[in-house]
Amino acid sequence: MLSEGLRFRDIRNTSTFRLTLLLGLVAAIGVVALLGLIYGLSARELDSRSDRILRAEAARLEGIRRDQLPDHIRVAIRRSVSGLNYYGLLDREGRPLAGNLRGSSGFVPGHVREIAGRSGRHGPVRLLAVRTAAGETILIGRDITPLVDLRRRVFEVLAFSGVAIALLILIAGTLLSFAPLRRLGRLQRSAHKIAAGHLEERMPILGRGDELDLFAGTVNTMVDEVGRVVSQVKAVTDAVAHDLRTPLTRVRAQLYRAGQQPDISPLLAGKVDAALADLDMVLERFAALLRISELETGSRRAGFHTVDLAALARAAIDLYGPLAEERGIALTLEAADGARMFGDDKLLFEAVGNLIDNAIKFAPAGGRVGIRVRSAGDGVRIEIRDNGPGIPADQRKAVLRRFHRGAGSEGVEGSGLGLSVVAAIAHLHQLSLDFDDAKPGLIARLHSPGR
Amino acid sequence: MARILVIEDDVTTAREIATELTAHGHEVAQVHDGQAALDMAMREPFDAITLDRMLPGMDGLVLVERLRERRVLLPVLMISALSDVDDRIAGLRAGGDDYLIKPFASNEMAMRVEVLLRRRQQSSESAILRVGGIELDLIRRKVRVEGEPVRLLHMEFRLLEFLARNAGDVVSRRIIFEQVWGYYFDPGANLINVHIGRLRKKLDRPDKPSAIVTVKGEGYRLDAV
Repeated sequence: MLSEGLRFRDIRNTSTFRLTLLLGLVAAIGVVALLGLIYGLSARELDSRSDRILRAEAARLEGIRRDQLPDHIRVAIRRSVSGLNYYGLLDREGRPLAGNLRGSSGFVPGHVREIAGRSGRHGPVRLLAVRTAAGETILIGRDITPLVDLRRRVFEVLAFSGVAIALLILIAGTLLSFAPLRRLGRLQRSAHKIAAGHLEERMPILGRGDELDLFAGTVNTMVDEVGRVVSQVKAVTDAVAHDLRTPLTRVRAQLYRAGQQPDISPLLAGKVDAALADLDMVLERFAALLRISELETGSRRAGFHTVDLAALARAAIDLYGPLAEERGIALTLEAADGARMFGDDKLLFEAVGNLIDNAIKFAPAGGRVGIRVRSAGDGVRIEIRDNGPGIPADQRKAVLRRFHRGAGSEGVEGSGLGLSVVAAIAHLHQLSLDFDDAKPGLIARLHSPGR
Repeated sequence: MARILVIEDDVTTAREIATELTAHGHEVAQVHDGQAALDMAMREPFDAITLDRMLPGMDGLVLVERLRERRVLLPVLMISALSDVDDRIAGLRAGGDDYLIKPFASNEMAMRVEVLLRRRQQSSESAILRVGGIELDLIRRKVRVEGEPVRLLHMEFRLLEFLARNAGDVVSRRIIFEQVWGYYFDPGANLINVHIGRLRKKLDRPDKPSAIVTVKGEGYRLDAV
């Protein structure tokens, strides 16, 4: 169920949000990969350009005669306007002979090496060493501070844009999820109203033809059909109620009147009495059946109010206590205060009373019947437990069928409609009715779904 | 004897109601449509009304509302082919005093009319109810049998009070269950029998027959003994 105020958890769970996040993630990976590629290629290009300059300069210096080399180096240093070029000439032992490079270790002739900058002395340098024919080493270096700065900046841009894209995706996902979630909330409220028996309610359609509209349309068609069937059933019930009850009243009245005649023979009087008794049984079942269909088709929740189940159970104990006592059955109640639900107290009492009555009927003389009322989360749970024969697992559904008389009910008063009435009352209150093994005996349980 | 107005569109049912009430010693007038019923109830003095919920011309609910608007405060027994609890509540809210569902047993209907008539007579009576040796103090909620105090539980007192208010008349188990406990389902014969049995044990005296008489197939009656 969606809460009234939208929470991030609700948004996070929407498919729109997840889809936006997934697409955003793919797009972000693509953008970062592209930027990374550009960065890599341009860094390599800048490096190789700088290396080409180093190699060209090295080739120029290598072509100069040995005795003129120190002068050329000095001139080259002087000419380096930027001061960013470094030169050095080392003897065979690596001692510096000329230039502004004081020597370096670890270089391999013919290869370019990058040396990290030293604070206050020089920036990062790419260095090329070449060995002359005389066995001396010429070192040529280029300060690549601008290049490193550029690389760092490109990296920063990448990192920043990555974070920004991620944030944008989250915001977009949240914003995009709001509208469908609100619509879903409206659809859900409609669905709850429909489930509560308001069959005139329809799901809102915005006319965009999107999937939610399609879904709402389908549900509305379904509700139309359900409404049509329910009103048909109701019409039949009403017709039965009106068109059969009055004639049945007449039949009973005339039969009763016949039995009241002063000149009636005792034999006939006996027959009339027997016919009246049979007719009353039929009428009683007829009334119970009508009541079940009225409970099942009616939208009676208008008369619902908060019912204190502990008080209801205590009243039931007061009513059924003497009956249990007469059979030597211990009737006990374990009720949590605060177990409340929204409902019709008279009907709930009837359901609970019916289950207690059954338990007393089926518990052995001297046995026990326990009632337990609890609130479970935002729902309730009412259990009536006896130590009678119980109901075999394969018959627990069958007992809810109308007119079902279970094994062991011979000689027990009842029409076989009691549990159907309880089930109809349970359904009206959105409660489940089920049976369990009390080992030995039966647990009849009325409970909010999932509790 | 009381004068009772029977409002019922089905002539056979109306005749049966009239016959049964006449057999109980009442004088009966019948009408078969709503407007005529309203006119008659305004014109002539009656002690009670039986009213069909579905009438041609005027809904029984509207009729009882009109009667109440015109300060006709007679007890009204509504008789209906609608058994839904909501219909019952609507009937009682509109101003009906009791609600009986079709098809009904004639004697059950007559019992309900008697209960309504009794209620009307007693509304201005004293705080002490006496039936033979049984005395109920309605204010202190105390009971004495032959002068000796008897301790009754809350529901036992209400049961005795209801029987005492209808002393001499038979009341069915169903009426007892509705009027004393306030529930409208069939509790099964045994349940009310057991409560009556417990009450008898507390009230009965060895030298006398029980004040609560079982009338087979109908219900119970409290007699002065």
